[in-house]
Amino acid sequence: MASDVQALTSPVAEVPLSPRFGWAWWVALVISGVLVLLLGYTLMSVVLVGVGVWGVNIPFVWGFDLINYAWWIGIANGASLFAASLVLRQHDLRTAVNRFAEGVAFFAVICAGIFPIFHLGRPWLFYWVFPYPATFQVWPQFRSTLTWDFWAISTHAIVTSLLWYVGLIPDLATLRDRARRKTVKKIYGLFALGWRGSVYQWAYHQRAYRLVAILVLPLILIMQSTVAFEFAVTLVPDWHETRQPLHFVATGLAQGLSIVLLVAVMLRWGLRLERYIDDRDVDLLGKLVLASALVSGYLYIDEIASAFLADPITRQSTLTRMTGDYAGFYWAAIAYSVVIPQLFWLKVARQSVLAGVFVGFSIGVGVWLDRFSIIIGGLQTDYLPSIWRDYTPTIPEWGLFLGTVGLFAALVLLFIRFLPVVSMFETRHDEHLEKS
Amino acid sequence: MAQLFTRTASNAFRVLIVLTLFSVVGAGVLGYAWSRADATWNVGKPADQPVPFRHDLHAGSLGIDCRYCHSTVERAADAGMPSAQTCMTCHSQVWVGASVLEPVRSSFALGQPLTWTSVHRLPDFAYFNHAAHVTNGVACETCHGRVDQMTKTVKTQTLSMGWCLDCHRDPAPHLRPREAVFVMGYKPHGQDLPEDIQAFYREASRRLTSCNTCHR
Repeated sequence: MASDVQALTSPVAEVPLSPRFGWAWWVALVISGVLVLLLGYTLMSVVLVGVGVWGVNIPFVWGFDLINYAWWIGIANGASLFAASLVLRQHDLRTAVNRFAEGVAFFAVICAGIFPIFHLGRPWLFYWVFPYPATFQVWPQFRSTLTWDFWAISTHAIVTSLLWYVGLIPDLATLRDRARRKTVKKIYGLFALGWRGSVYQWAYHQRAYRLVAILVLPLILIMQSTVAFEFAVTLVPDWHETRQPLHFVATGLAQGLSIVLLVAVMLRWGLRLERYIDDRDVDLLGKLVLASALVSGYLYIDEIASAFLADPITRQSTLTRMTGDYAGFYWAAIAYSVVIPQLFWLKVARQSVLAGVFVGFSIGVGVWLDRFSIIIGGLQTDYLPSIWRDYTPTIPEWGLFLGTVGLFAALVLLFIRFLPVVSMFETRHDEHLEKS
Repeated sequence: MAQLFTRTASNAFRVLIVLTLFSVVGAGVLGYAWSRADATWNVGKPADQPVPFRHDLHAGSLGIDCRYCHSTVERAADAGMPSAQTCMTCHSQVWVGASVLEPVRSSFALGQPLTWTSVHRLPDFAYFNHAAHVTNGVACETCHGRVDQMTKTVKTQTLSMGWCLDCHRDPAPHLRPREAVFVMGYKPHGQDLPEDIQAFYREASRRLTSCNTCHR
């Protein structure tokens, strides 16, 4: 390999190999570490005391746990759908964002997976949802949403981690070759699985990477729809709608893209990666976020319209979401995930770090509020007026949510510390193409 | 540049990958076998009893009916364990001075129940009714084995839920005529149950396998 091509990506490779990483990284890691401890504490309280520590009760049997599950899985779906389509299209943007888009997707799956397991009430028996030859000779109930969660999350975890890891292999080999200390060399070398960069290996690698990426496309749509079907198959009037999968896929995509954008602008600014995540990349990402926010907006209009076309009970329950006790969540969701992203019509905003963080964050918040509005607001007026009441999350529920945010942040921080955040081999490949 | 990993190390890594795959499969096979092994379910393992009671002697050689001691088996969920009074109907006359019967005599004198150790203990979440089974043609022997040959009382079946379901899903082949329920070593000759009763039980398996039949 020519030395100038190697020099091209050396700043990316130097990041994980540098002996020091600055105090800011440590401070961030400590803060997220504290939140991870909080997560451990709240999970233990659920195990030792039971789900009674949560504020869930009839009719709100799916409180914070399902809101946060749906929210995290949305990030995972959006980010991996985006990453996989870039790999398959061999789009320029992939060099800049794919690595951390895949990483973000994987970390979000880990966070999402916590909720359905602990939501079971007896998490140590979670394997009961898996169809194994048990001595009690009863299969799991395949019509139960619990088993759907199991398949959705395990498929997700396998496919997103594969996509991420397969893409990492050649870059791990680069790190192995550039590392100065013998132990560091060996650790990266172990995970590089003996990568030599031969033509054979490249051919296999390309095939494997694209194969996994192709797998992601249908799976993500199916998995996100599965989450939506968990609501749609119930008899709750506001949930029992065929438009539910579309709503979840579209808002999930917007959310995934916004988190990718958020991480992109922060990495670019924090690690000085302007050369690899260039202005054009951020601009393009901003346009994508804007487009997906517009699709979300269209689906909100569809929600209102289909409520008026629906039967009186469905209409009433959807209207309750818009005007009832939790109306604030509904309208704030639209404001945060549809109205604020309109800022990106301006080129200045698309290029600005501050605006990128602001919009990325606001869509994330907006979609969370939307999930809250669906799961809590949607149950406000069920068929039985005797169970019409309010839901208030308890402190352990907030702790659980903040804990998963901390876990996510900690995983991202460790990722940027020890792994190349930009795909070096893809960057070299594109740079080669441009030269020739 | 020298090689980072020696040839031996690389080969060891390859072997390790294969071994990991095998051990995953192996753990599955082991778990499958372990969860079905008799030892896991305490099959054939006697429990410590206050009196070395011998079923082979009482039910086998002497031919005492099961219901003499387990007196509520046809009427209640619990088969009933004998009180000291039941034992003393005979043992006030035979083996009067035997030291092994001391707990029975003191129980009788003090009015304190004998603390038998249960060998067939179902978990609390499983509801089992002896009367429902015994009065519908499920024999003692079907679940408890050849008690009349046991020196020490042991389980002969796992009593796992899968074992229960084996019968609940298709009870007819396991049922006996009423007069054969308390018989040990019964050999069915031909079709014992009339066809209409067999048909009834085939129909009933739907009701017999619903969750709340046993988990109430």
